[in-house]
Amino acid sequence: MSDHDHPHDAITADAKPGYYEIMETAIRELLIGKGLISANDIRRQIEVLDSRSPALGARVVARAWTDSAFRERLLADGRAACEELGITFYDDTDLIVLENTATVHNLIVCTLCSCYPRPVLGLPPDWYKLKPYRARAVSEPRKVLAEFGTVIPDDVEIRVSDSTAVIRYLVLPRRPEGTEGWSEDELAAIVTRDAMIGVVPVTVNAGAVS
Amino acid sequence: MARSVLDDIIPALNEVAAFALGDPVRVATRAPIGHYRVPVYLRGCRGKIVRVIEPVMIDNEEEGYGRNAGNKRHYYRVAFAMTELWPGYSGPVNDALEIEIFETWLERADV
Amino acid sequence: MTADFVSRLPNDLGGAEAGPVARVDHELAPWEKRCHALADVLDFKKIINTEEKRKGVEALGADLIAKLPYYERWIVAFANILFAKGLLTPTELAGKMAEVEARTAAE
Repeated sequence: MSDHDHPHDAITADAKPGYYEIMETAIRELLIGKGLISANDIRRQIEVLDSRSPALGARVVARAWTDSAFRERLLADGRAACEELGITFYDDTDLIVLENTATVHNLIVCTLCSCYPRPVLGLPPDWYKLKPYRARAVSEPRKVLAEFGTVIPDDVEIRVSDSTAVIRYLVLPRRPEGTEGWSEDELAAIVTRDAMIGVVPVTVNAGAVS
Repeated sequence: MARSVLDDIIPALNEVAAFALGDPVRVATRAPIGHYRVPVYLRGCRGKIVRVIEPVMIDNEEEGYGRNAGNKRHYYRVAFAMTELWPGYSGPVNDALEIEIFETWLERADV
Repeated sequence: MTADFVSRLPNDLGGAEAGPVARVDHELAPWEKRCHALADVLDFKKIINTEEKRKGVEALGADLIAKLPYYERWIVAFANILFAKGLLTPTELAGKMAEVEARTAAE
């Protein structure tokens, strides 16, 4: 297990495929040849993956901030409420939405692998899958948050959720002050991926979803 | 109200949750080899059931060996105090961790 | 304790000593995205379910887990699981890889 970031070769248009890329192509073509999967299955799933990004989660959060009945349904059954907005759960996972309040700050992690709410946020960032975050988020969450520039007062409970099963989590961040009267679109634009993981708050001067 | 045929349904083995909201539980101290989904840092720790996950599901430790159907039980969302998990925890005593654990890993704990 | 060699999985990291979090990320290479799609499709069809994939990565051992990046670990785990299930043979895979390599070199 390493602390370092794994090297990633620069991607260039004419680069020859590497060993593991060749292995991926060979396995895929063999399985297609045996009729176990089809080329269309893969093409279709790539389209599904491409359709998922933090912008979906941001829409869910903005709706919860502006529609209290939706917020209630979202906290009671995260998956069903997301499905109301047309977000399908292609990977058969369930979703618990964790609401940040004046007294509780939620943080999500997967110490065993890389469980993540992919249907609503897309694929996780590399740091979420690497050792330092996975090792320390459960044992010293306040120090980890401080490394993201987030300082949580001692009278606010830190509640870490470690995902190890078919249940995934999405943090519902606190709506920042100064956003009274904002439209749902304006609100969605300030909700970032990292805020929905719980490592940073939402702020009014946040840029586009990252 | 008239009796319905539904009143006569008897749940199958393991279909009824063994633990309820608020129950104090302890994670088993066993140390399996091969594959597990209960991190080592939780073994033997005491917590409290904060949510019973419905419906029953296959044990994902068994799924690891290719079992895709068969006997199912409940997962429970269990809350632990950070100070229970990490003896040297330096943060406030209210800090906590929550995680889903399969029924076979949980034991009833004394209050 | 030698028991720890087998009773603590190499990917069970909660509470381990580790350095600061570097906020690194990268855009997935096309083959990495294909590998992710392959994993999903294999799970949907229960050829290799998600948990078998996780177990397959653990089975690579701590040394390889540390040395290989994420999707490289996945594809090697898939190969091993497919061999174990009798769905592919090592010889078939080696032959196909040689063919793919020759084909792409010629392109």
